[in-house]
Amino acid sequence: MSDDLTERLEAYLSNVMGIPDLEVANLSRIPGGASRETYRFRARYNRGGTEIERGLILRRDQTASLIETDRATEFRAYRAFHALGLPVPEPIALEEGSEALDRPFFVMEEIENCQVGSILSSDPYGPLREKIGRQFFANLGRIARADVDEIGLGDLEGERDPTKCWLHEVDRWEKVIDEDEREPQPIARAALRWLRRNRPPPAPKISVVHGDYRTGNFLYDADGNMRAILDWEMAHLGNPLEDLGWAIDPLWSHGDPSRPAGTIPREEALSIWQKESGIRLDTAALAWWEIFASLKGLAIWISAAREYADGRNTDPVNAFSGWYCLTFHNKILADRLGAA
Amino acid sequence: MKPEADQILMFSGLKLAAEYAPQIPTQYGQGMAQVVAALMFMSAQEYDRAADIRVSENIDIRALFKLLGPQIADANLRRDLETAAAAREDSLRISALNASNEYLRKVFIRLHTYLDETDADTKPVWDVLKAMAARRTLTLPG
Repeated sequence: MSDDLTERLEAYLSNVMGIPDLEVANLSRIPGGASRETYRFRARYNRGGTEIERGLILRRDQTASLIETDRATEFRAYRAFHALGLPVPEPIALEEGSEALDRPFFVMEEIENCQVGSILSSDPYGPLREKIGRQFFANLGRIARADVDEIGLGDLEGERDPTKCWLHEVDRWEKVIDEDEREPQPIARAALRWLRRNRPPPAPKISVVHGDYRTGNFLYDADGNMRAILDWEMAHLGNPLEDLGWAIDPLWSHGDPSRPAGTIPREEALSIWQKESGIRLDTAALAWWEIFASLKGLAIWISAAREYADGRNTDPVNAFSGWYCLTFHNKILADRLGAA
Repeated sequence: MKPEADQILMFSGLKLAAEYAPQIPTQYGQGMAQVVAALMFMSAQEYDRAADIRVSENIDIRALFKLLGPQIADANLRRDLETAAAAREDSLRISALNASNEYLRKVFIRLHTYLDETDADTKPVWDVLKAMAARRTLTLPG
């Protein structure tokens, strides 16, 4: 990794943490989402006569991002849910200027000795899947339960009117499709019309919606303990069923939709979520949000395809998303809406 | 050609995923190499079927336009359906098939929107969409 980046990061952290002798070592890029570059490094310093070495993560904006996301929102979400006791890394520093490292970034704690489930794997969790699944849906329920004002996130982007948050999200993702589609998308357009014609019931409450709660966005250890919920970059206010619909989307089920997220049976997952969220589940409303989830997926994949095809961001993940994931969600939506 | 491009892509992807990627020293490099291998598997599938997918899709859409066109009250849409149904590709290059497919999809969306707005039967439209989606589905090695 560039020594220049190491030195500049070292200078920045020494300044903001007030530790003149802070040393940055072993800076290396790791996979970590398409909207930010993610790096792992060690920070070494002396505090009160004690030598400290700590694993940290740098998340820096891409030169071109898949979906424009607000790093301040992501940082604040990490801070709020870390403080609430959820498995979320401790945020360390947020820099919104471009002077220090060319682009805005933030630094957070590294959760060590963990792994992430790959959506390319047919069985990412092996014998740990049920233990992980119970935590996965319990933690999602805890996010839904959190009072947005009490945790200091009441001003996040989104819609606070329970009767309108569905429309806010449909408008948002239709705009993305309008701006980014390179070829006409008849299934996405049909889904948008369906969502508007079949409006869902009001939200049971307004929650923080993680926005991308799924396989690949959390870390677990060798004992099956869920240690970190990551990638809060699309966090916003809205209907908590939005996150639930996304989490149980077939794309993340590793080939077995009866076990959402490739973990536990659907009924058990929904039961755990209801218990932890304190929200009584309206199955008709959830069905609407499941259609929405696949439409939202299409919008994201259409954006990824555009970034790649236009040469603005040729990360192979964008090609994969813009092709495999797009065809997957087209089939899900065509089968579901075509059967109605 | 022997070997064909799909076989080359498939075997090269397997080599990359199983032999070369694990030797890359960084976690980031290994992860990206696995994604590139997946793209090679997908490209291998697409090589043999790409023209067939597009030709079949265009045939289905034109047949739908022929079927439903006479029932459409909107004169402009009915005329565009007739025109699109009568058109033909003059090349089997993917770029040419894509161009006519995009034109047909635009008219298709107008037709579907019209049927939705007039509460007409949309089953024939959805049957075409389901077939389109199924043809383009990709599978990844287990």
